[in-house]
Amino acid sequence: MRSLFEWVDALPSSIALRESLNAYPTMLTIHVVSMCLFAGLIAYWDMRLIGFTLKKVPVSNIPTRLFPWALTGYGINLITGALLLYSQPMRYYGNFYFWAKMALMLVAGINMFWFHYATYKSVQAWDQGREIPLNARLAGVVSLVLWAAVVVTGRMMAYSGLMPGWWNNLNIGA
Amino acid sequence: MLQSFFEWMQGLPFSAWMLEETWASPIIQCAHLVALVGFAGAVLVVDMRLLGRGLIKTPLNQLARELDRWMIWSFVALFVTGAPQVLSTALKQYYSPFFWWKMQIIVIGLLFNFTIRRRVAFAKEGTLGHWPKVVGFLSIGIWTSVSVYARLIGLLS
Ligand code: HEM
Ligand code: HEM
Repeated sequence: MRSLFEWVDALPSSIALRESLNAYPTMLTIHVVSMCLFAGLIAYWDMRLIGFTLKKVPVSNIPTRLFPWALTGYGINLITGALLLYSQPMRYYGNFYFWAKMALMLVAGINMFWFHYATYKSVQAWDQGREIPLNARLAGVVSLVLWAAVVVTGRMMAYSGLMPGWWNNLNIGA
Repeated sequence: MLQSFFEWMQGLPFSAWMLEETWASPIIQCAHLVALVGFAGAVLVVDMRLLGRGLIKTPLNQLARELDRWMIWSFVALFVTGAPQVLSTALKQYYSPFFWWKMQIIVIGLLFNFTIRRRVAFAKEGTLGHWPKVVGFLSIGIWTSVSVYARLIGLLS
C-alpha cells in the first residue's frame, strides 16, 4: 500500500495538482458542495425510514425520485475526493482520519446494500404506512450515524496533530 | 466602529478559551458541517420540488410545511456552531472579504426565504406559472454560494 501511495506521489500529474495554487481550494469546495447534495438527501431518506419526518411521503418514492440526484452528488464527491487524495497521497497516508473515513464509508455501503437486498424487498407492505419494520428503522439509524461520522472524519483530516496516541505509536506516516 | 466590535469579540475570554482548548475548534467545525448537511437536505428537497423534480407525487405545500421546521432548526444549529468560530477568529473574519459576502448572502437568503420562497411553496400549486421554478433555482443558487464563500474563508483568507 505504501509503495502505491509513494508511486502516485511521484507522478508528474500528482505533482502538478499539488503545486497548483487553485486546484486544492477548487476541489475541496466542490467536495463540500457535492457532499451537501449527497449527504443532505440521504439524511432525509434515513430520517424517513426512522420515522422522524416526511411521514406522508410513500417510502418507495424517495429511492426512485431522489436517489438519482443523491448519486449524482456522490459521483462528484467521489471524483473530487479521489483527486484530493491523488494530489497529496503522502499527506493522507499516515492520517488516521483518512483511513477511518474510508472504513466508515465501506461500512455505510455494506449497510445500504444489505438494506436494499434484504429489508427493502418487502417495501410494498409498509410503503404508505407509518409502521416501518424495525430492521428498516435500524438501517436508517445506522446510515445516519455512519454518514455523520464520515463528515466528521472528513473534516478532521485537516488536523493531523490530533490523531489518537495509539495510532501515532504505529508510526505509519514516518 | 465595526472594527472595534470585532476586536472586542476577539478579546473575549471565551475566544481565548476556544483557541487554547485543542478540541474546541475542530468539534465546532465538524458540528457546523453536520448541521450544514441537515440544512442542505431540508432546503434541497423543497427547491427540487419547486423545480418540478424530486418528490412530485407529494403536494408541494405539504412538503414545504413539513421541512420548514427542519430548515429553521438546522439554521439555528448553523448559527450556534458558526458564532463561536466568529468570536474566536474575529479578526480573521473581519479582514476576509469572503466572510462578509457569506454574511450578506445569508441575510439575502433569509429575507428571500421568509418573504418569497415560503409564500410560493405554501401557495396552491399550478397558480403561479413559472415562478416556482425561478424561486427554487434562486434558492439553490443562494445557499450554494453561501457554502462556497464559507469554504473560501478558511482556504484563502
Ligand atoms: C472515495 C471517496 C472520498 C475520498 C477519497 C475523499 C477524500 C477527501 C480528502 C482528501 C479531503 C481533504 C482533507 C483535507 O485536506 O483536509 C476530504 C475532505 C472532506 N470530505 Fe471527503 N472524500 C471522499 C468522500 C466523502 C464523502 C462521501 C463525504 C461525506 C458524506 C466526505 C466528506 C468530507 C468532508 C466533510 C471533508 C472536509 C471538507 C472541509 O474541510 O470543508 N468525503 N475528503
Ligand atoms: C449565521 C450563521 C452562520 C455563521 C455565524 C457562520 C460562521 C462560520 C464560520 C466563522 C466559519 C469558519 C470559516 C473559517 O474561518 O474557515 C464557517 C464555516 C463554514 N460555514 Fe458557516 N456560518 C453560518 C451559517 C452557514 C450557512 C447558512 C451555511 C451554508 C448554507 C454555512 C456553510 C459553511 C461552510 C461550508 C463552512 C466551511 C466548513 C469547513 O469546512 O470548515 N454556514 N461558518
